[in-house]
Amino acid sequence: MHHDVLSIVNESQALNAKMFSLVRLKLIASLAALGPDGATYRELKAALEINDGVLYSNLNVLKDFGYLTSEKIIFEGKELELFAVTSQGLDEWARTREWLCKFLQCGG
Amino acid sequence: MGKRKKVIAFFRELGFQLDITRFDDRLIAQKVVCLLELKGIDLGYPCSIYVRGPYSPELTRDLYEFSNEFRQGETGTQLDSQEKATAHQLEHIFGLQPVLLEVGATYGHYTIKERYSPLEAQTRVKRLKPFYPETQVAVGISKAKEFLFEPTTRDLDELKKETSIWQRAALRSLEE
Repeated sequence: MHHDVLSIVNESQALNAKMFSLVRLKLIASLAALGPDGATYRELKAALEINDGVLYSNLNVLKDFGYLTSEKIIFEGKELELFAVTSQGLDEWARTREWLCKFLQCGG
Repeated sequence: MGKRKKVIAFFRELGFQLDITRFDDRLIAQKVVCLLELKGIDLGYPCSIYVRGPYSPELTRDLYEFSNEFRQGETGTQLDSQEKATAHQLEHIFGLQPVLLEVGATYGHYTIKERYSPLEAQTRVKRLKPFYPETQVAVGISKAKEFLFEPTTRDLDELKKETSIWQRAALRSLEE
């Protein structure tokens, strides 16, 4: 068990505090696993069970941070929006994960 | 390093030339590999459930890193006769149609890997892919059953019993 809880807590200052929302963490974790392949809006909506308003606004926030990109694609004759993680997004997700792991190992 | 070569050999056998810039092609590649893995062919790219259904992130990495090899079908690996037969069966049943492959692979994953009952697996497919029409889901599931599950002797006997009434009636009508 770590004893220097304070220094671990203070390491969080290097992170983007705005990433710490359940929806954003779900989105970035899901898209990081798919790499440049990405996922469509409708796939994210169905799999993560997030309503349109919340999903749309959080995807836009992550895009504004530079963590996601989006493009229009045509699939089966329908226009869909495809979202993929950027290298900046992958870096931030790696830092966030690393810190969360350290933090949780601190114990109760 | 060699495992992608076997995937390329399967793609060649299927007549599938991957263009990494196309969403449809990347989807076909993923679902073909997941279906073949479910069929018991070890390609070294195990699939788990992600937001896009059964999926192998390791395959994605290789598809992008070696996109030229996949596009040009560069492989020194030869499929054996059973593997070729499986490739032809997959092509015959699914016809490389992305939606059917996706529904089929998802249903197969839920029934084989996660051992859900057919009804529960169907419910989960519809929950994960609510944007596909019921008819496409039904056809995809039916094709997954055809590809992944061989009927047992008992299944065939039961089917024979069930259809014997109509067969006898058909024979009688020919005699009349």
